[in-house]
Amino acid sequence: MNHCVPDFEMEDDYSIPSSSILNRAKKPSMPEDGIMELLWQNGQVVMQSQNQRSFKKPSPFKYLDAGQSALREIRSSSHHQQQQQQQQQQSVTDHLFMQEDEMASWLHNPLSDANFDHDFCADLLYPSSPTAVAPCVTSTATTSAPPTPPLGRVPQVSASAMVPASRPPIPPARRNELESTRIQNFGSLSKEQPGPSNSKSVAREVTVVDSSDTPAVAPESGASQAMPCNTEAASGEDNNNACANMSFAAVAYTQSAAVSVGASKDNIATCEATVTSSPGGSSASASAEPTAQKTGPAEDRKRKGREPDDAECHSEDAEFESPETKKQSRGSSSTKRSRAAEVHNLSERRRRDRINEKMRALQELIPRCNKSDKASMLDEAIEYLKSLQLQVQMMSMGCGMLPMMFPQHYMPTMGMGIGMGMVMDMGLSRPMMPFHNVMAGSGLPTPAASAHLDPRFPMPAFHMSPQVPVPDPSRIQPNNQSDAMLNPLGMQNPNQPRIPSFADPYQQYMGLHQMQLHPPQCQATAQPSSSKPSNSKGAENLENHPSGDMAR
Amino acid sequence: MSSRRSRQSTAGVSRISDDQIIELVSKLQQLLPEIRDRRSDKVSASKVLQETCNYIRSLHREVDDLSERLSQLLATIDADSAEAAIIRSLIM
Repeated sequence: MNHCVPDFEMEDDYSIPSSSILNRAKKPSMPEDGIMELLWQNGQVVMQSQNQRSFKKPSPFKYLDAGQSALREIRSSSHHQQQQQQQQQQSVTDHLFMQEDEMASWLHNPLSDANFDHDFCADLLYPSSPTAVAPCVTSTATTSAPPTPPLGRVPQVSASAMVPASRPPIPPARRNELESTRIQNFGSLSKEQPGPSNSKSVAREVTVVDSSDTPAVAPESGASQAMPCNTEAASGEDNNNACANMSFAAVAYTQSAAVSVGASKDNIATCEATVTSSPGGSSASASAEPTAQKTGPAEDRKRKGREPDDAECHSEDAEFESPETKKQSRGSSSTKRSRAAEVHNLSERRRRDRINEKMRALQELIPRCNKSDKASMLDEAIEYLKSLQLQVQMMSMGCGMLPMMFPQHYMPTMGMGIGMGMVMDMGLSRPMMPFHNVMAGSGLPTPAASAHLDPRFPMPAFHMSPQVPVPDPSRIQPNNQSDAMLNPLGMQNPNQPRIPSFADPYQQYMGLHQMQLHPPQCQATAQPSSSKPSNSKGAENLENHPSGDMAR
Repeated sequence: MSSRRSRQSTAGVSRISDDQIIELVSKLQQLLPEIRDRRSDKVSASKVLQETCNYIRSLHREVDDLSERLSQLLATIDADSAEAAIIRSLIM
């Protein structure tokens, strides 16, 4: 394909396969476009001229104007697309580009000289301009860290790396970099944008390259990839526009998906258009791209529109308003009543919706709730809530008791005396008594099994300071009093039988303080025999307490 | 409740919902410390449900917190002691 502008004639002259750039791999180039392919064969770039031997130079963008560069880009890109294999023919491409640059670049002169140093591309196919190649190569090489990478990958990488770094204005160097980067792009599937795409042309070039790459991947995905890739690559660059352009071009290009001259032409047009950040509608793809993009935002808008609509639907206002409007549309007289009814219905509906919503939320909180029925679900919620409260009570008691358990060592038997106090109020979730060591001795309380917390608290710890635990019981007491939990406690306390046993050792070892402690609780629970300082009485009380509690 | 439900099941959803829900909501209300302490007559079902959800969440947090503490306590004592057994039982 000869997109090249007359100015690019030279390219042809040089017969530098634009695609050669793409053809980094050693694979035999695939001259689909009749582009010469540079085959990297063991470190040597062998250019296979295709239909046309136009050496596409990415860098020329800088120097060339969009059209030309785009053309070249397109050609190379198209070819590149076909290539699919991004092999590092960077050196080759560099050479190629260099050559082009050489040809067209009057700016490169200074740099090219420097590039001449490297004969990296000496083996390039371009016998016509070996010197040019050399400089190109050298320049490229200079730009890229390793000048003679056999696979060109290294140079590509370095080139790419360098490209961004060396945006600076050595035109030929840049061009080389560009080329190298472009090559890399080809190879890396447009992952890297040519760094120095300082000019739109450059950007376009990159775009084209990317676009060409993307088709390889997939028209759609490629486009998407290209766009982000472009964006990323160009992020460093100052080519936001380029990115956009590239994306456009890529999309357009990918859409075309046809690596054909026509496509390339389109790309070119696209590229050119991209310069103006407008897909230039010359090509269908270009036009398609904007449409695609438009659909995106359109979809977003639609989506957003839907969401608020949904929200409104859920919102009462929406429900309220719609019927309202309907009512208003009807006759006023009839609408009034109907409106009132509607309002009522709406409000009722809203209320129910709220309740349903909360029921759902509650259902989610309840573990293993597979009930869909409201009533059953509420039942489960109630039970779960009770069990949770119990659990919290037990755990808090345990936490409170643990520190107290330690001193228990001097009251070994006492440890056993934890009383599982009755949970005065299931809902209160206030442990009557912190779990006592007694529990350990007699058995571990089952937290969830409606453990009855004994109002007594560990005596050992409170032996010296009976006051400490008092607050807890006293705290609990009001709760106990307030609820007729006794009944539920009695029903729920399988551990009750244990309490008396606890109480006994408790009674024996507990001192007065315990009695004192218990009494408040017992009293709270309206235990008649609560306030007995004597151990015996205390024992009685203690024993009575549990029983009393149970009786309650 | 089930009887009521079954009895009313044929009557219509509304009846089931209203009666049962009212009762259940009242039960829930009793469990909720906040609402119980307040005037419980005028609490709407929605409010009760909301409070229940909040309460359950707070209880969950509390349980987690207590578990954490118990675990820490467990680490500080002998694993074979009675206390450890208790704690483990609590942590479940």
